[in-house]
Amino acid sequence: MTNTIQILSIEKTGKESSLQKEHNNKSIKIIDGYFFSRNLDDQKFTKISKLISNDVSQTILTKKNVNKVLSSYCNFNWVVEIKFLPGVTDNIATTVKEIIKDNLKSSFKSFELGSTKIILIKGRKEDITKISKNEANPLIQTIKIYPFKQYLNNFKKNQFKIEKVKLPKKKYIKKEINLDISDYNLSLIGKLGIEENDKSRRGTLGLDLESLKTIRNYFSTIKRKPTDVEIETLAQTWSEHCKHKIFSAKIDDIQEGIFKKYIKGATEKIIQLRKDNFCVSLFTDNAGGIEFNKDWIICHKVETHNTPSALDPFGGAITGIVGVNRDCLGFGKGAKPIANTYAYYLADPNKKYQLYRQKNKDPMLPANFIAKGIISGVRVGGNCSGIPTPQGNVYFDDRFAGKPLVFCGTVGIIPKKIKGKLSHKKKANPGDIILMAGGRVGKDGIHGATFSSEELDPNSPVSAVQIGDPITQKKMSDVIIRELRDENLYSSITDNGAGGLSSSIGEMAKESGGFIVNLEKVPLKYNGLYPWEIWVSESQERMTLAVPPANVKKVIKRFNARGVEATIIGKFIKKQKAIVKYNKTEILNLDMEFLHEGYPKLNLKTSFPKIKKEKKKIIKKSSLIDKLHKLLSSPNIVSKEFIATQYDHEVQATSIIKPLQGEGRVFGSATAIKPIFDDEKSIALSQAAYPQYAETNPYDMAGCSIDTAYKNLIVSGANSKKIAILDNFCWCSSDEPDRLYQLKEAAKACYDYAVAYQTPFISGKDSMFNDFKGFDKTGKSVKISIPPTLLISSIGVVDKISHLTKITPDDGDILLVLGNTRNELQDSVYSKIIGYEKSKNPVVNSKDALHTYRNFEKANKLGIINSAIGIDLGGIGIAVTKMAIASKKGLTIDLKLKNKISVDQFLFSETPSRILVSMKKNKLANFKKIFKGSDYTIIGKCTGSDVVEFKDNKKIIRSKISDFAKSYKQNIKGL
Amino acid sequence: MNVLVLSGYGINCENETLHAFEVVGFEGKIVHINDLIQNPKQLNNYQVFAIPGGFSYGDDTGSGNAMAKKILTNLYDQLIDFSLKDKLIIGICNGCQILINLGLVPSLNKKDPEVAMIENKSGSYECRWVDVKVNNNKSPWLKNISILNLPVAHQEGQFMIPINLLKSIKANNLIGLQYINNHKKLAKGQFPFNPNGSKDDIAALTNQNGNVLAMMPHPERAFYHYHVPNWQNNTSKKFGDGYKIFMNAKKFFA
Repeated sequence: MTNTIQILSIEKTGKESSLQKEHNNKSIKIIDGYFFSRNLDDQKFTKISKLISNDVSQTILTKKNVNKVLSSYCNFNWVVEIKFLPGVTDNIATTVKEIIKDNLKSSFKSFELGSTKIILIKGRKEDITKISKNEANPLIQTIKIYPFKQYLNNFKKNQFKIEKVKLPKKKYIKKEINLDISDYNLSLIGKLGIEENDKSRRGTLGLDLESLKTIRNYFSTIKRKPTDVEIETLAQTWSEHCKHKIFSAKIDDIQEGIFKKYIKGATEKIIQLRKDNFCVSLFTDNAGGIEFNKDWIICHKVETHNTPSALDPFGGAITGIVGVNRDCLGFGKGAKPIANTYAYYLADPNKKYQLYRQKNKDPMLPANFIAKGIISGVRVGGNCSGIPTPQGNVYFDDRFAGKPLVFCGTVGIIPKKIKGKLSHKKKANPGDIILMAGGRVGKDGIHGATFSSEELDPNSPVSAVQIGDPITQKKMSDVIIRELRDENLYSSITDNGAGGLSSSIGEMAKESGGFIVNLEKVPLKYNGLYPWEIWVSESQERMTLAVPPANVKKVIKRFNARGVEATIIGKFIKKQKAIVKYNKTEILNLDMEFLHEGYPKLNLKTSFPKIKKEKKKIIKKSSLIDKLHKLLSSPNIVSKEFIATQYDHEVQATSIIKPLQGEGRVFGSATAIKPIFDDEKSIALSQAAYPQYAETNPYDMAGCSIDTAYKNLIVSGANSKKIAILDNFCWCSSDEPDRLYQLKEAAKACYDYAVAYQTPFISGKDSMFNDFKGFDKTGKSVKISIPPTLLISSIGVVDKISHLTKITPDDGDILLVLGNTRNELQDSVYSKIIGYEKSKNPVVNSKDALHTYRNFEKANKLGIINSAIGIDLGGIGIAVTKMAIASKKGLTIDLKLKNKISVDQFLFSETPSRILVSMKKNKLANFKKIFKGSDYTIIGKCTGSDVVEFKDNKKIIRSKISDFAKSYKQNIKGL
Repeated sequence: MNVLVLSGYGINCENETLHAFEVVGFEGKIVHINDLIQNPKQLNNYQVFAIPGGFSYGDDTGSGNAMAKKILTNLYDQLIDFSLKDKLIIGICNGCQILINLGLVPSLNKKDPEVAMIENKSGSYECRWVDVKVNNNKSPWLKNISILNLPVAHQEGQFMIPINLLKSIKANNLIGLQYINNHKKLAKGQFPFNPNGSKDDIAALTNQNGNVLAMMPHPERAFYHYHVPNWQNNTSKKFGDGYKIFMNAKKFFA
């Protein structure tokens, strides 16, 4: 331990304010630490300390000053020291190394360095235990708690340990696997992984018995045994995550499967029906692309990162967002990411679910830890990458306690043509060099693709967690988008996500024929990885490029000049063969056809599920105003401003309709960016999902998602002919016939409504097993399945700035509800919070909806509409109060209803396809002309006072806008 | 009139910053820090040096520190030289943090950083619009401006200034911008008007000549009228308040 040293710097004030607030303890202090694998003489110690700290705001702790400095705050009694586990990406350490190397140059030889976070506290032992649980994740960090005095002594004696990645000494580079074994043993390989020499298992492959038998047959035909690398590769390539086997399977009498029939089928039908096809790239690439204007294409992709976020919420979410950014970088020749979107489906952060993956041990992380981690992961990923994150939402339901859903999306932009060639077309040519650019490869994320396709159970591998490094990716992204792409220096590009190199190269090689990879060339974070690990590792921030040999030197030089590593690791070939070598030993040799299409196709059957009826809840007697307050402050309606303000939505200077709208800052359901400075066109974004409607009727649930995602863009001012949508199915127990029935129904609705609205699907993704199997606190086994969730994301083009709408009415405006209101309170927020009424579930009538939308679009273009807001959760009542809160202007609502529904049904029903609008009185005549024959109701006016009032025959009830605003802006408990 | 806009290692506002300069009449170029280190002489071709916002080195070891150390190691003399000429330097957000860490502002003792940027008092990242008033009217960047409505977006925007230094900063009139409340009075630390708890509501500092400006708010994100929140209520103007800062740079050389 003599050849080590650490530098600790303490912030004089600040840094711990959020921690202090959270734990209600003023006596908390944070220290930044850096430890070195070598000793430093005094001169170097001082020099390095100066490089990595700021002596105005920080003090470097030394043996001499440590007592004095620390006692100046208070008498601390506990210390928690948090370090990354060996092998986990340590971004801070990388930066510090770079600063030191740059400044000290040759005078400082190679060294290992790690960062650590030290928290000091004056309090009880329980407090420090709680803090350590909140601040660190044992999956990726070591957490040590010391009595303060002991820690101080250790520091003075310079006693601390540096842990390194302990890897077995390399024993083999390939391993032949015998598959001529019993079905039972075969299925063990699928479930637990390949057996190592010491009888341990590598971790799940997610291959079922039939797949393993198919592999066995293939190898018996070619008369040899498979290698471990081959089985690992097939497991990755055939995973549900990569091949979407359920969506492509024959299901009941649908031969072609639901993807081809309902999703792709809808888009094909729409293209056939419409003369003005604006789709550019559909389903085949990393993202879907549509035309933005005559020179530019925009693309959009939404991914989920559910299982990793359950295990490591911060890491899971940050890799989710930077991962989907790479999908844009990998769209066509490389699109520049211009907006991020998010949607989180979470358990109640204020509840303690106490779930365990194994009986009485291996607990699930607390719901609030998961929620906070996810929110910050996307914050750091988006903000650090310089990509605005304007659009998103959060939804809470107990059924997400076993698995949170984390949807991360990115919009990208790319010129239509690059050097005269269509930018969305790419083709790796035989002879092209395979270049890996960006981060290095480590053990992170091994088996990510195979395990995200499985349920979360005790055998879920912990090494499946990666940590994103947005700065490495930003550096790489800048080189690609700004320097390489526009000179046409590469022929194809794709990202390394699930399945790592095995997937990215395997996919790209389809363009040329096949590939040969020399795996020993791949740069590693540390030595000792098995070849199979290098091949499937999901280490982040890497792109794979196909580069013509003549350009390779130039490309590598460009990357290196920007501090980015790029390495030749093989070449693409014409022959339909997938070949991997390690130091000349062939470790994989498969036919491309078998690799990609050899998997056994599923044959699925569905059955009608038992409908789980909403529990009857007695209606709480309360006044209308009271009900409004209750709904406004409920977690699924309350403002998400605290997320909007921590996500930079202004970077790139494109934000034109912001997430917080009106002077009263209402969290909007659609936002817009204007991506090109000299074109007034903008991109409107929205999204919708209704997991709460799913069990009652999955068809209507899907209809509502499409309708709302589409409607929100119409309301924002988008051109109805330029709206495209994306589908993200997050399902549960997709091996059960009744869940498959719900899936089929939802997919059918996707077809019906997309075709009705003529809005094509351009991209999508599915995640089929979002179930938790484990134990409750009493040791009883439990299974928690998420409700089937279909997130529809919408992207549309707004032709003119003047078409963009606002949600704030002006004094004297009259208020109207467009569309018919029915008694559809079932599964509504009202029925959950206030109580059950005999009612129906929300159903979309696409014909009526289209009337409303087309007329709205016309009226808006003519300047008739002054303000508009889509009516969604909480119905008209919530839409009205949101308008008032946003504009800080009073409204009067007339409740003398003509049709036969009660006041509560009118105000809180969640009937889809409705819009609340305001307009100047003198526009009403023109409005009526346009809306002749379609449904609308005049419901009141904008008074400009400070109250919202509801009038019926008998009385007037009112509440101050500021009181509504207070309810709407309440903190979400537990966050 | 030429502007050099710095890029690299996680700086991310270079495109919109360059655009703002170009619209007011500059010619400009985005230059990667490594290219500038390779060929520092190219600085002679420029009249304005702009360090845009971003997350250089992911804020590791403190916002702006790592990039400041890179400049300190490789470009410091050239930049000092630039600042002593009749030229302009601006650092916006992360650029401000970098200038502060370099000690180019307030630069009263010409050695070592004198001011530090620390975490917002709220403990969280703050992306929101604020009003600031111009305090130092003699800086070419801020001439003839009284109040600006601009967005901030930062995690570490709190200026930390030792008391004695603050006295001389005030005595030398080096506070560039200060956060104000909805009554156009100093925010007095009140959130959200002062988004980070900065002492004396400081949002920007200058050097003694006023030609170097380090500001936390983003003028390039308030450049056009449609950048401003709720712009639909006021569509008469073409530009937002941020435009004025860039115009001032143009006027300085005109």
